[in-house]
This record gives sequence, structure tokens and C-alpha cells, in this order.
Amino acid sequence: MVPALLSPISPRMSPHLTVGCSTGFMDEARGDWPELVRQAAAQAPFAVELAALSEPELPGLVRYLEGGPSLPFLYTSVHAPSKHRRIPELDLVNMLARLPRSIDAIVVHPDSIGDPRLYRPLGRRLAIENMDARKQAGQTAEELAPFFDELPEAGLCFDVAHAKSVDPTMEEGGRILEEFGDRLRHVHLSSLDENCHHVPLTEHDESLFASLLSRCRDVPWILEAPTTS
Amino acid sequence: MDPRSADHLLDEPEGALDRLAEAAGASFPNLVRAREYTHAELGKRAARLEGIDSAVVLFGSWGREELTSESDDDWAVLDDAGETTLARARAVLGGADRDPGQQDLFGLSFSCDELVRNIGLDADTNTNLTRRMLLLLESRAVAGRAAHARCVGQVLDAYLGHGVRDFQPPRFLLNDLIRYWRTICVDFEGKRRSAQGDDPKYAARNAKLRTSRKVLFAGGLLPVLLCHMKEASEMPAFLTRQLACSPVDRLAAAFIQQQAVPEGVRAIAAYDRWIGLMGDPAVREELASLRQATRDESALFAQIREIGDDLQRGLLALLYETGLSPLTRWYGLF
Repeated sequence: MVPALLSPISPRMSPHLTVGCSTGFMDEARGDWPELVRQAAAQAPFAVELAALSEPELPGLVRYLEGGPSLPFLYTSVHAPSKHRRIPELDLVNMLARLPRSIDAIVVHPDSIGDPRLYRPLGRRLAIENMDARKQAGQTAEELAPFFDELPEAGLCFDVAHAKSVDPTMEEGGRILEEFGDRLRHVHLSSLDENCHHVPLTEHDESLFASLLSRCRDVPWILEAPTTS
Repeated sequence: MDPRSADHLLDEPEGALDRLAEAAGASFPNLVRAREYTHAELGKRAARLEGIDSAVVLFGSWGREELTSESDDDWAVLDDAGETTLARARAVLGGADRDPGQQDLFGLSFSCDELVRNIGLDADTNTNLTRRMLLLLESRAVAGRAAHARCVGQVLDAYLGHGVRDFQPPRFLLNDLIRYWRTICVDFEGKRRSAQGDDPKYAARNAKLRTSRKVLFAGGLLPVLLCHMKEASEMPAFLTRQLACSPVDRLAAAFIQQQAVPEGVRAIAAYDRWIGLMGDPAVREELASLRQATRDESALFAQIREIGDDLQRGLLALLYETGLSPLTRWYGLF
């Protein structure tokens, strides 16, 4: 099978070496990690984000990864839960810290963080994502700063669509990269609908995002929606 | 403030690391410290070897300006310098725990003529290829600077003396450089197989392939590709200027000129972390204790793997996602 993203889908994305998919949009296979990995690898074999956005998905993902599956990806991130949270924060962090060393990044939403200091054991694998306009914290460079102050080793997961939802001129996105670009681990790439749900990247957004993406050529770009509707 | 334009900097990259740091408000403390330490120690060695006309040359971290207190003295005397010169060199270089890592390559004299006469074919042994490439890519003279420069010039002339065309990277040199990089990668496996799983140098060798060897190769590849901007008659001087600078300066200049400063900062910051690790004796000790079977359990090795990945992603972005991409694609494979 030829991975879908290796076909020339767009002039900007196709030259980028490390494009991958989030499993978050693969609704039909949710919870079936071997199938999600198979689908993600069929889309793009170099990078993946294994998304356990809903907390009940996490234990299954941890068990799957602890089984030592052979994964085809050069870069693997895990998206930590941001919905249906019940596990005490310390226990959640401990569970994330036990993820195998082969996991390159663990993405956490700042508005899901109660006590940032608890996340220090995740070290450089922790990647804090900038939030969309609906969220209470972590939308702007200024709001992200206290998290990075508490977590000096943490990286940045730059969600370019979230940045647009906060400031459609993309100036705030530029500020986030200006302030925290040295921490950049990977990019989340998609467009958003009016309810801030991730949808396939539009041509308009692809042009709008080009300038910021040109500052992120060395990190994986993770697609948070299919490439076509 | 360095007044040089980005294009000028690419032509004369010395100091480009500082420019990259300035451009991004970043710092590379371990690289800066190592560079200063290299210059200071080179000066001390040179003072003790004063009066020697033969080229006494240091390689490795000395040549990359990445010396730490834990580095070896990989040294050699060029040409048949006589036992007196060798003895003086031995008295100043190496000794105790600083002896050359590869005893068959360094700590002795070898002939520049041999490097030049045998390029390719059977007589160009692994040792000859390694010495020739390291002379070009990472060598500094502590005595006999004129003789060292002459030898570098002879090697370059051997590569550039025939068939080089204006505005095309010199294929002979390019192919040999790529051959060298692939050779050290293949030899890594050869050494691993020979040691049958119990090689105290295995982890350090692997770590260096992910980091300093990669910088050495990419830092050599760039100026050769950039000969694309030069007429054939300009290439010897251009390459001489480039190779007199550290590989990190060459890379930094390219990141700046290709408007890839954020990517350059992240890549070189990763390398800076590696240099920091190399200055720590406990790190070297732990690397020596690791084996193929145990390295994946090591937090240190995981850290080195991450450094190597960050560095490689930056270098690949530079070579494949900037204006250099057509050159890399056209000349890099065939």
C-alpha cells in the first residue's frame, strides 16, 4: 500500500519530511490500538500521534505500548487525556511517566493541568499545547509562560489552527513561536470549524499558515483531521 | 554586531555560531566553552612545540573546536619528520588517559603524498581514506602550520585538479566524502559484529555517529554542495576558507543564509547538549558500561538518541526543505 500522504497532496506539505496523523480522528477504530496504528501507518509511516483524548482510552493505550509493539514510525507522540478526567492528577502523571522510552513526546493541554509541578517527571518528553479560543488557559504566549516557568524541560506542541482561532491574523501564533520556538517538538496541523473542531486543512488556511510553518521545518507535523473531507 | 551579510557569512563562516545565537537570542554555552577551551589548549601545545617545521596536527574534537577536558589527543605528524620530532610530539600530546582513541591512525607520522597518490582503488585503504578525510574536515596544526596548509592544498588539488566544472559541485570530492560517511557507518557494524556484544566502545561509537560524526559529514557536505555557486577557479580558495572553520560554524552560516534560523537554533542547541555531556566524565564512564543489550534501558542513551534525532531533523530540514534542497536532491544520491 502506498501511504496516502506520500502522494502529492499539496505543494507545502508534500516536501515536508515528517508528516504524520493523529489517531484522534479515526473514530471507527477508537480503542483498537493495533488497528489505529495500521490506519495511521497507511496514511503516513514517519510520524504518529496516539491520541487518548478521553481518559478511559489511556489504560488500553498504556497496555498496548507496554506490550512492546513493533511500530513503523520514526516519531511517536501520545496525546494525554483532556476529557472525562477522573484519575487523580498524580496517578495520571505516573501512568504517563511509565510510557516506554520509544515515545518521543507526551502532549498535554495546559487547561487540563492542575499542579504543573506534578508533570516534572515527564522531563523533555512533556509537550504543552497552545489552546484554542474556547479554552480557559494556554491560548497565548503570555498564558503559556507560567507553565514553562514551572516546567523548564517541557517542550511546545504548536497547534497552528488553535493559534488562528485565538488570533486570525496569526500574530499571536508568531509570538508563541518567538517566545517558545526553542522548545518546539511538533506541530498540530488542521483547520477548525465554527465550534473549534478539527477539520481537514483548507487551502485558505494552508496559505495563511505557510509563514509560521516555514519556521517549523525540522519537526513533525501531525494532521489532526483527514486530508480530505 | 557582525556586519557581514548572510551571503558573506556563508562564504566565510567563521563566527557564524555567534551570529546564529544573536539572531535568535539563543545561547550555546557548551559549544562556546569548548571552542574557547580548544583555542587555549591549542595555544599551549603550540608554544611547547615551537620551532618544529613539520606539521604536527590534532584531529577530532580539536579540529571541530569542541575540546573538553575528557577529549583524547588524536594527533599525527605529517610526512617523515624523524624520531626527534615524533618524540617531542609524544612528550606534549597524548599520555595518561589522553592517548589517541585509534592507535593505528594517530600518534605516529604519515605521508601526505600517500594520501594524495592513493585515492580510490585497493591502495586507498580504510586508514588512508580516514586520514585524508579527517585532514580536510577536522584538523588543526599545533606546529608547522605552513606544512599543514600545504598538505590540505595538495589533497584539495588532487580532488579539484581534473574535470571540475564551473557552478557544479566537484563530484570526485563529493563522492569520496559520501563514501567516507558511509564507510564509518558500515565500519560501526563491522566492529559491533567483531566484538560479539561485548565492546566497551559500542555505545560511545553509536552516540558519536548520531552526533559529532553527523556534524562532521554535514559540515563537509555543505561547502562541497555550495561550490555550485562558484566557478571552478574559485573552488580551491572557497573550500580552503570553509574547511579552516569549524563544522558548526559552517552549519550555522548555512542555516542563517537559508533563513532557517529557528531550525538551526534547535539543531545546534541539541548538539550543544551533546557537547555538554561529553565534558562529563561520569557520562563517558556510563557509555563505556553500556552494551548493545543494555543501552535501551539507559536514560542517558535515550537522551543521546533524542539529541541525535533533533540534530538530524534540523540538518534534514536544512538540506531538503530550504533553497539547498535542489542541490541535495540532484547531487546527494547519484
